[in-house]
Amino acid sequence: MAENILVIGGGPAGLHAAIELAELGVNVSLVERDTFFGGNPKKFKYKYLFPDLQPAENVIGELIKGAESNNNIKKYLSANIESFKEDGKKFSAVIKSSTGSETKTFDSVIVATGFEHFDPAKDSKYSYQLFDDVIDIKDLERMMGEGNFTRPSNGKPPKNVAIILCVGSRDRHVGNQYCSRVCCTVSVKQAIELKEHFPETEVYIFYMDIRTYGFYEDLYWKAMEEHDVQIVKGRVAEITSGPDNTVICKGEDTLLRGPFEIPFDMVVLASGMEGGPQSPEMADKLGIELDEHGFLKQANVTLSPFKSNKDGIFLAGACTGPKAIADAILEGGAAAMDAYIYAKKNS
Amino acid sequence: MEYDENGVSIVSNDFKKEIFEEAKKDFRYEEYVRGCLNCGVCTGGCPPHRFFDFSPRMVLQNCKSNDPALVWGMMDEYVWACFQCFTCAMICPFLNNPGGVIAILREISVRRGFESAKKVLKPYSRVLLKLTAYGNQLSPDMIQPDFFPDWGPHIGYASEDLPLKRKAIPMPTLQVTNLAWDVAPEAMKELYTIFEEAGVFKIIEVVDPSLYEIIQDIVDDVRSE
Ligand SMILES: Cc1cc2nc3c(=O)[nH]c(=O)nc-3n(C[C@H](O)[C@H](O)[C@H](O)COP(=O)(O)OP(=O)(O)OC[C@H]3O[C@@H](n4cnc5c(N)ncnc54)[C@H](O)[C@@H]3O)c2cc1C
Ligand code: SF4
Ligand code: SF4
Ligand code: SF4
Repeated sequence: MAENILVIGGGPAGLHAAIELAELGVNVSLVERDTFFGGNPKKFKYKYLFPDLQPAENVIGELIKGAESNNNIKKYLSANIESFKEDGKKFSAVIKSSTGSETKTFDSVIVATGFEHFDPAKDSKYSYQLFDDVIDIKDLERMMGEGNFTRPSNGKPPKNVAIILCVGSRDRHVGNQYCSRVCCTVSVKQAIELKEHFPETEVYIFYMDIRTYGFYEDLYWKAMEEHDVQIVKGRVAEITSGPDNTVICKGEDTLLRGPFEIPFDMVVLASGMEGGPQSPEMADKLGIELDEHGFLKQANVTLSPFKSNKDGIFLAGACTGPKAIADAILEGGAAAMDAYIYAKKNS
Repeated sequence: MEYDENGVSIVSNDFKKEIFEEAKKDFRYEEYVRGCLNCGVCTGGCPPHRFFDFSPRMVLQNCKSNDPALVWGMMDEYVWACFQCFTCAMICPFLNNPGGVIAILREISVRRGFESAKKVLKPYSRVLLKLTAYGNQLSPDMIQPDFFPDWGPHIGYASEDLPLKRKAIPMPTLQVTNLAWDVAPEAMKELYTIFEEAGVFKIIEVVDPSLYEIIQDIVDDVRSE
């Protein structure tokens, strides 16, 4: 008899896990709370992905197709886990979706509920939602995905754009001490895309540290070498309104200029990633642990990063911390292997 | 006191160390100095940074360096540039408090009667005198161009014909220019007790001995009333 495995969350991690398991002949139940699969990249219409600027459709579209065309995967959209309990070595869950409630028994479970974007309105110094031309990376990602690179206030091309890193990350005031890992690379990628679209636009990146780790560094170099993106070391302290419908970024250029107040046509806040409300919700429902950063806790961050602290429940993707799509997919595969082994042993 | 080319007083290395140790021993120090990302957000929000070569980021960095010479370098002019507005503490992602560190260093400077402290506190002698004599901090007759240049070009006009201008204020005033409001002797006596307990008189004695004598005479007078 085939194994039954529950995958919660239909983003890159969950989709890949579901497909791998289905290929092994497992009966997979894939539960997604949204009306579509694809996770955050789909929700915010990412168009081109770092590091190689390939169309997001190549990756996300492929994963969705793979899951949708596989008959071993039972797909639940607009769905959630209504109740969950252990049943010996197995698990019993009630899945509620638009088609009603279903109770099922599973041999193992993969949680891939992902992340939420930090809401920059929570940090008042950035004046997000106060000025139309102050947006964040997910807004810009969506705008660019829709082919729109212009200023929200008047629809005109921006003369200059400031990109501010580490918004909602590495900051005890907002409660997130960790680095969100991808926002530096996303921002450098967006700077390049902006410059490719509007070569005349001046693009500034205000940073504390540029963390384009590993090969992502190539994009950082490209931004400077080929697009003359201005990289300024200093965190912006305040955003106020300026003359001629501009917004003024005020801060310290710690290496060159000292104090600055520069009017910009557009400001992009590189808001970070958070565990979101779904992480505590999963911890609560499934009886697994949260870590001190608000993400789901790995049994051992080095030895068994795909295991939760409960046998038979596995973790994949951004639900355990900020990461790139490649990492999320990798973890989906690894968690699928762990979940398969557990199911095989106990079914 | 001798000064180097940066206007920093020249003292022995042992003395610099002693001052740094005194700062670190302050019960607030550990809370105010944590780590530092060198991000400059404190300095970006710091009002005096726009006008002077002064930066709360450097205050934190100097402390983190553990180099007593760097900390000593701030003891003269530097620490007095701060407005004590604590914007830095409000926005530092590390929850440092550079303005608080400045307060600790200033207190050392005042306690030890350093020249810079004496110089900076000189204009406040009028305020202290007013406070001990009348329980008022500021009264109209103290508004003089020499003392309030930061009030801008109209200070000259503002300081003329004070009795007449007072009369023009459409609300009850005492119709005098040396007082803003009347303070009861009981309140004054309580104020002196607070000053005594908090060590304010002792500080005045160190920073300005002649002012201290005048103030003590006033205090004795009021207390014997
Ligand atoms: C602006 C931005 C741009 C980025 N660009 C790139 C890029 O170019 N290249 C790259 O490699 N990475 C990029 N990333 C990172 C990428 O978004 C993540 O690595 C990836 O989305 C993580 O996938 P995931 O499946 O773990 O989580 P998610 O994408 O968050 O998917 C989680 C899914 O779980 C669902 N879910 C949540 N809670 C529940 C629940 N209770 N019940 C059921 N379902 C639930 C969600 O609806 C969602 O569909 C970017 C990130 C940001 C912020
Ligand atoms: S990846 Fe870059 S922008 Fe994002 S939190 Fe880390 S250092 Fe800041
Ligand atoms: S407290 Fe001092 S150092 Fe801090 S912001 Fe205000 S003036 Fe600057
Ligand atoms: S804001 Fe805090 S962390 Fe940043 S430079 Fe100032 S003291 Fe250092």
